[in-house]
Amino acid sequence: MPRYRVEYGKSGPARYISHLDLVRAFERAMRRAGLPLAFSRGFNPHPLISPGPPLPVGMEGERECLDVELVEELAPEEVQRRLSRELPAGLAVKSVRRVPAGAPALMAAVGRASYRVEMPLAEKAGEEEVRRCLQLLLEKQEVSVTRRREGREEKTVNIRPGIYRLCGRVEGGVLCLEMTLAVGDRLNVRPQEVINALAAFCPHLCAGGEPRVVRTGLFPVEAGGP
Amino acid sequence: MLDIEPLLARVQKPARYAGGEWNAVRKDWDKAAVRVAFAFPDVYEVGMSYLGLQILYHLVNSREDALMERVFAPWVDMEGEMRRRGVPLFTLESRRPVRDFDILAFTLQYELTFTNVLNMLDLAGLPLRAAARGPGHPLVVAGGPCAFNPEPLADFVDLFVIGEGEEVLGELLDLYLELGGRRGDRQLFLRRAASIPGVYVPSLYRVLYRDDGAVSRVEPVAAGVPPRVTKRVVRRFDGAPFPTRPVVPYLGVVHDRGMLEIQRGCTRGCRFCQAGMIYRPVREKHPDTLLRQAAELIKNTGYEELSLVSLSTADYSRVRELVRSLLDSFEGMGVSVSLPSLRVDAFSVDLAREVQRVRRSTLTFAPEAGTQRLRDVINKGVTEEDLLGAAAAAFAAGWTAIKLYFMIGLPTETDEDLESIAALSRRVLARGKEMGVPPKRLKVTVSVSSFVPKSHTPFQWEPQAEMEELVRRQGYLRRRLREKGLEFRWHGAEASFLEAALARGDRRLGRALEEAWRLGCRFDGWSECFDFARWREAFARAGLDPACYAYRRYSYEDVLPWDHIDAGVSREYLIREHRRALAGLTTPDCREGRCPGCGLCPTLEIEPEIGG
Repeated sequence: MPRYRVEYGKSGPARYISHLDLVRAFERAMRRAGLPLAFSRGFNPHPLISPGPPLPVGMEGERECLDVELVEELAPEEVQRRLSRELPAGLAVKSVRRVPAGAPALMAAVGRASYRVEMPLAEKAGEEEVRRCLQLLLEKQEVSVTRRREGREEKTVNIRPGIYRLCGRVEGGVLCLEMTLAVGDRLNVRPQEVINALAAFCPHLCAGGEPRVVRTGLFPVEAGGP
Repeated sequence: MLDIEPLLARVQKPARYAGGEWNAVRKDWDKAAVRVAFAFPDVYEVGMSYLGLQILYHLVNSREDALMERVFAPWVDMEGEMRRRGVPLFTLESRRPVRDFDILAFTLQYELTFTNVLNMLDLAGLPLRAAARGPGHPLVVAGGPCAFNPEPLADFVDLFVIGEGEEVLGELLDLYLELGGRRGDRQLFLRRAASIPGVYVPSLYRVLYRDDGAVSRVEPVAAGVPPRVTKRVVRRFDGAPFPTRPVVPYLGVVHDRGMLEIQRGCTRGCRFCQAGMIYRPVREKHPDTLLRQAAELIKNTGYEELSLVSLSTADYSRVRELVRSLLDSFEGMGVSVSLPSLRVDAFSVDLAREVQRVRRSTLTFAPEAGTQRLRDVINKGVTEEDLLGAAAAAFAAGWTAIKLYFMIGLPTETDEDLESIAALSRRVLARGKEMGVPPKRLKVTVSVSSFVPKSHTPFQWEPQAEMEELVRRQGYLRRRLREKGLEFRWHGAEASFLEAALARGDRRLGRALEEAWRLGCRFDGWSECFDFARWREAFARAGLDPACYAYRRYSYEDVLPWDHIDAGVSREYLIREHRRALAGLTTPDCREGRCPGCGLCPTLEIEPEIGG
């Protein structure tokens, strides 16, 4: 059955749609759009929609992905045209393309995610200091973070191998970071963990306020990405 | 527009407050002459499952001169953030403060949301009491089933709508605009509104009490105010406006599916059931209308499931024909049809088997009582054969789990009736074993709630069983339902006691409500929030005894606190039904052609609409 990869943005009120609810929101939009959805067999048939790696609730995503299978071949432009009209505020299709038969599943195909972080700086932190902190972090072989999940034991993880790219600049008292991090089951690094690690070198960094984080894209493991 | 983004980052399920859902209506604030905020005093997931909200939202927003936006009770975490940062209660659509609206309209679905009504008024920055509000404040109106005994909220609400809101809400908006909108004289508006049928303005009535504390009289204090307010009913229901473009929530809500209302009202006449009395007469929609509305609904929402909503769906006269046509028209779209309420019989199970493409594992039945004697008392026209036949049909069709709803504390109940609840449940379990349901998957859940006497029912004169006694009966059942495959669940007796006190309360109860709210009571229907000790304290501070309300046995001569509200069924009928109950006599369904004389049709000059 023809499979399509939908690239979309998630912003505004749609940022608060959880990962689970998002699949349902797309299913409903696709049904409204009259797309011939393919369904799984069995007692509880569900549409064959596979989302990419979860985006944390509240975070904006500029180029998120999901795969959908249809029972009929439609031109990708037609899928995009029909779907675009039926998406709620904050969800917007960027592109649709055909995925060749036998191509790996979306989740297996994605291994990296890029992020843009903006955070107000405490007055004392300047460009120079920021550069020094970034350098210090990148020189490390190991950056350990402790993860706590409800009902489970604490786990210490070295996130350094999952930091593929990290750079930053200061614009009008706001620190703008760009980072490419591991995403997926094997190793998953959250932007906030990198921010916390940076703050350990430079206490001025985090004094300013809550960071605004945007996930800017998803990339395969092998091809480096931005 | 309020900036709520910093709050959303800090609360659970921020989608409850974010808005922007599909089909949400965002109208130009400045172009609307009258602006209404519809308030549901519980969380988003509960409120968005309520069809009435979607109906009124659609109705008001289809008027050119009006807009309606939604607001739900913020969960405890959100309330904390709002109070800490001084953010007032706001609507989802425009994120404007609720106090900027002209009308704040609450729906009252459940007594244990009353403290949330007060809390929402306070979060909106409004004085709680109607008497303290003035020209700068929105009018506070309320409707829904709990408005049939409006007295406990009488001090806080400017006007109540009794009965179905579709027509009367429009009449109220017209009157509001005619009298100059927000610049108009509030008192004049209330006076004039009080003469609209179905509108109850509590400040225009005086309640007099007897020496023993009971109500002796409720009387109008002004000329032109009717002594009794009769409920409103929608006529020509088939043509009534219906929302085929409802708001589609993002967040998984309680009933997350398309709702198609196939009929309103129920004529079975279960004597404990308030809905069965207040939503009379029964009115069916024509199958053609329903097919058209269903197609629009799915096209406009994309829902994967369509629920045939009514109080008793299997009673709809052409139900089989309807579900077949619906299944045919949704073939291949991955849309399933579901029945929210199953009658206890094989026909219903058969119907469920036919329609439910998506097979949930559990099927639910409500025999309500254990013995035939007690089922006759409550006029639940169900026999043991019906139940066992339904269970057999369900197991044969592949269901492996059955849930049974019973009520304890019903009038005349004895331990023998309880014994029979256990015996009946075991028989259902045995039927499953006989029919070869794999023991690991076979489950019979016995869910037991406590009877709460409600206004406008034949049991309105009956006391609630005392709390200690309810707890004993729960224990009695628990001991008899210990077996592999049986699961026993029960509702807390304290919450049912409070529900009874509020359901049967009079105007003085407003003091207790306010005290309870001040002591921090919120979301009383949620076991994680319910705090009975605070309620006890609240009643004590108000100088009231909740037991006087919950446990009082009224005589037919007594004036009931809700006697000035007329649900259309006559007092004579309710008395007759009460007497027949105590004599163990059943009364047939009026669908079957024999009118039991409830008095509704002549009083409201209406007739049932059956058979399309």
